[in-house]
Amino acid sequence: MCLVAFAGSVGCRWFAPAPSTSDASAPRLPGQSTGVFTTARPTLAAALNDFFGRRPIADQPLEFPHDVHVRLEIKCTEYCHESVTTGPVAGLPSVSTCMICHAAIATDSPRIQQIAALSEKGIDLQWTRVYGYAPEAHVRFNHAPHIRAKVECATCHGDIGGQTIAQRNVDLNMGFCVNCHNANKASVDCLTCHF
Amino acid sequence: MDRRTFIKLTAITGTSATLASCGNPENQLIRFVPAEDIVPGIAVWKPGVCPLCSAGCGLTVRVMDADAEVVRDGQAGVVRIAAAKKLEGAPDHPVNHGGLCARGQAAIQIAYHPDRITQPLRRAGARGEGRYEAVSWEDALGEIVSRLDALESAGNQRAVAYVAGSGRGYRSALVRLFLSRYGAPGPMAYQLFGDEVLRRANALSFGREQLPTFDLANARYVLSFGADFLGTWNSPVAQSVGYGLMRQGRPGIRGAFTQVESRMSQTGASADEWVPIKPGTEGVLALGLAHLIMTARLHPAAAAGRAGALIDGWSTGLATYTPQEVERVTGVAAARVERLARQFGDTRPAVAMVAGPPLAHSNALFTALAVNALNALVGAAEQPGGLFFTPQIDVAAAMKISGPVASPAPAIERLAAEGLSGTSATQLLFVDGANPVFTTPRAWRVREAFEKIPYIASFGSFLDETSILADLILPDHSFLESWTEALPESGAVEAVASVAPPVMRPLHQTRATPDVLLEVGRLLRRPLELPWQTFDELLGASLADLPSASGFGAWTDAQETGVWSGTLPAGLAVAEIADASPAPAPVAFAAPEFDGAADEYPFHFLPYSSNAFLDGSLAHLPWLQEMPDPLTSAMWSSWIEINPATAERLGIGTGDLVEVASAHGTLRTGVVISPGIAPDLVAMPAGQGHRTFTRYASGRGESPVDLLAPMTEAATGALAWAATRVRVTRVGPPDGRLILFAAGMREHLEEHR
Repeated sequence: MCLVAFAGSVGCRWFAPAPSTSDASAPRLPGQSTGVFTTARPTLAAALNDFFGRRPIADQPLEFPHDVHVRLEIKCTEYCHESVTTGPVAGLPSVSTCMICHAAIATDSPRIQQIAALSEKGIDLQWTRVYGYAPEAHVRFNHAPHIRAKVECATCHGDIGGQTIAQRNVDLNMGFCVNCHNANKASVDCLTCHF
Repeated sequence: MDRRTFIKLTAITGTSATLASCGNPENQLIRFVPAEDIVPGIAVWKPGVCPLCSAGCGLTVRVMDADAEVVRDGQAGVVRIAAAKKLEGAPDHPVNHGGLCARGQAAIQIAYHPDRITQPLRRAGARGEGRYEAVSWEDALGEIVSRLDALESAGNQRAVAYVAGSGRGYRSALVRLFLSRYGAPGPMAYQLFGDEVLRRANALSFGREQLPTFDLANARYVLSFGADFLGTWNSPVAQSVGYGLMRQGRPGIRGAFTQVESRMSQTGASADEWVPIKPGTEGVLALGLAHLIMTARLHPAAAAGRAGALIDGWSTGLATYTPQEVERVTGVAAARVERLARQFGDTRPAVAMVAGPPLAHSNALFTALAVNALNALVGAAEQPGGLFFTPQIDVAAAMKISGPVASPAPAIERLAAEGLSGTSATQLLFVDGANPVFTTPRAWRVREAFEKIPYIASFGSFLDETSILADLILPDHSFLESWTEALPESGAVEAVASVAPPVMRPLHQTRATPDVLLEVGRLLRRPLELPWQTFDELLGASLADLPSASGFGAWTDAQETGVWSGTLPAGLAVAEIADASPAPAPVAFAAPEFDGAADEYPFHFLPYSSNAFLDGSLAHLPWLQEMPDPLTSAMWSSWIEINPATAERLGIGTGDLVEVASAHGTLRTGVVISPGIAPDLVAMPAGQGHRTFTRYASGRGESPVDLLAPMTEAATGALAWAATRVRVTRVGPPDGRLILFAAGMREHLEEHR
């Protein structure tokens, strides 16, 4: 059986059509991509988790305090997730967005100093996405119409004000979407989300 | 096997396959702060200009967010960019009216090509070996500047040569200006399927040295001599739009269309009538029609004016071009000649066009002048349903240049011959958007001549047969990353300038060639007198004087819409060429000359511009490789087309391997049997047969250029690429090198056995 698997993974090499002129070739140059095949998932565990819809607890590069910002009544959609009103994706702010306020505010905090240092080097934070669907899920979500319909952020994202790093505390499965659509008399046509 | 075992086995196989395919985790790339504000998930459409041929079609480019792997300050990382995702034709563009050909659609692959050159490179191995090392832009430009300075202090500026692709716009004007200010000869613009002969003929007949624009939408009858105007010639999208209107755009009227050619092209396949003719005799048929039209007194000889006076015997009614004589020379039956003459003379408006193979013979200028005279006779010039000349912007006047814009350019074959014989020593060669090593006949020995040049610098984005000889590669931006412009030579009735700002930020460490030239001009010890800092400054200054519809200025309009179109103010238009005095001697038909004796090489050999790759410059785009040829359905391969009767006589079947030999070369390829070709002709598409041109084109198929004889058109010196004779010998059964769409060659043959 291992033999079958091995053959399956390397077999395509043996059947690649050979070019007709043997001495012709495209030389590899510095700076070009290697052409090495990389898998869609980094590890087997990641692939299995993805398959069963299990998400690891989001591990962010910086313990971003959502609670502090919500307490100060900074609206979610005003600075940080601003494309939520115009596009399908809410958007994650880059460090330059942080620096709009934090160039002057709380500059003595170690976390802010960390961000300022990154911003100077032009390097962004590697935020991990908490929500969202894999392409294989074949479903699309657009924030903008939900905002227009005055759906509260908390409906789908839970009580962010009680969290530091956002965690996925609402399970956004199809049942969840359809219940809310039914309750608000929104379309439940398949093509509303699956297109 | 029971169900339980089957499931177990499936699980084990699946797991082992997954294990086998899981490598090391990817190295975590750092993420850079994006340089622009991007709304994720929202597409915007920006204007662009298609760079693939000289038609200059307008694009509208779909731009959306994407993650790009980039290198910043030597550090690899990921950054969110606004990336071009799809190209379409610009809806309001006066040339393409929203259309875009398949080649244009594939142009987006240029930007994201895996074999694109991403940074300046210096040759590290032997010449032609393809080993390069990375070098910084500062060092690279320093190297060019010191070379140019050394030549200048030695008073040897004329040892600089520049080979460029076609181009009538501001970019090529800048190149010409750079060279003339430095003191070097002008750029050599060589094209395999060039239109020099037709331009010369139009200058003589109509006073316009440019390709014509056809008003097909209003035409009632089109007679085309070999012009593949729906596929590859001139402005194919504009002509396709016009053709559609001619056939179906007027209620109750369907324009008729006859194609005269010896190999059925994609355009010929759309014709109502296809007239095969002996190669090189198309001009005789045109004059035969003119003779009958004059004899029937449908139009007087004097109606042709200047165009008619260029033809020997025109004023006396072309008495020698009787239908019987025309039949003897051309092989077109006398009765058919008479019918075509009636149709062409009676239908108004009617227009004739000529291009392609008829203008690739030793007597091509005669053929072009004959067709021009026929057009002039029926009053097709500058009339609705006829042919027009798109007003051209006088580039030098628009750029406000004083002094000479360009020094005369040598022909590339002369440069090669002089280089090989040692009479002229080119010291420094620039290669910009051309691949003459691939597209010139081997007998010109361009490769050997280039190998003798001490220093070659290329602006190419890909390593091809010419740029692999380069000592230094200064990669240009792709057309989506730089300011682009085109001044369409034809395709619209009013003057057009297509201009578009960059659609996206550069993906790699490349630089726009016009900006590089301007910078080199500034860095020279004796800086060149070039009054612009950047190319967009040049464009802005050049468009400033054009009238604007919106009132914000033509430059602002063009940046927003990607095009300026309108009436040119006096002083900015290229003037009509006055009648030459004394008048040039009238030309008469001379039998076309062919290379190779007819008994040894029994077939005429016709290379043709490939629908996918044109002259081969697009063979690196995989979408075009996998696009089936419209007539043969072949893809990813090259082939020859041969008449069924000839194939039977030679014992050749579809896909068989044959050897095609001329006096200048030999190649082996597969055969496609096609009824749309004369029995004494074999045709072969150009484009394949690259030795070095990215992973998709290298070593794939054969190039017909390898067989071409160095025959030239007698009056203009243009390459007569249809004047070679060949012999064809069967070598063996199909070996899989010919790939037809939806049929593996083996299955296909078994079906037809």
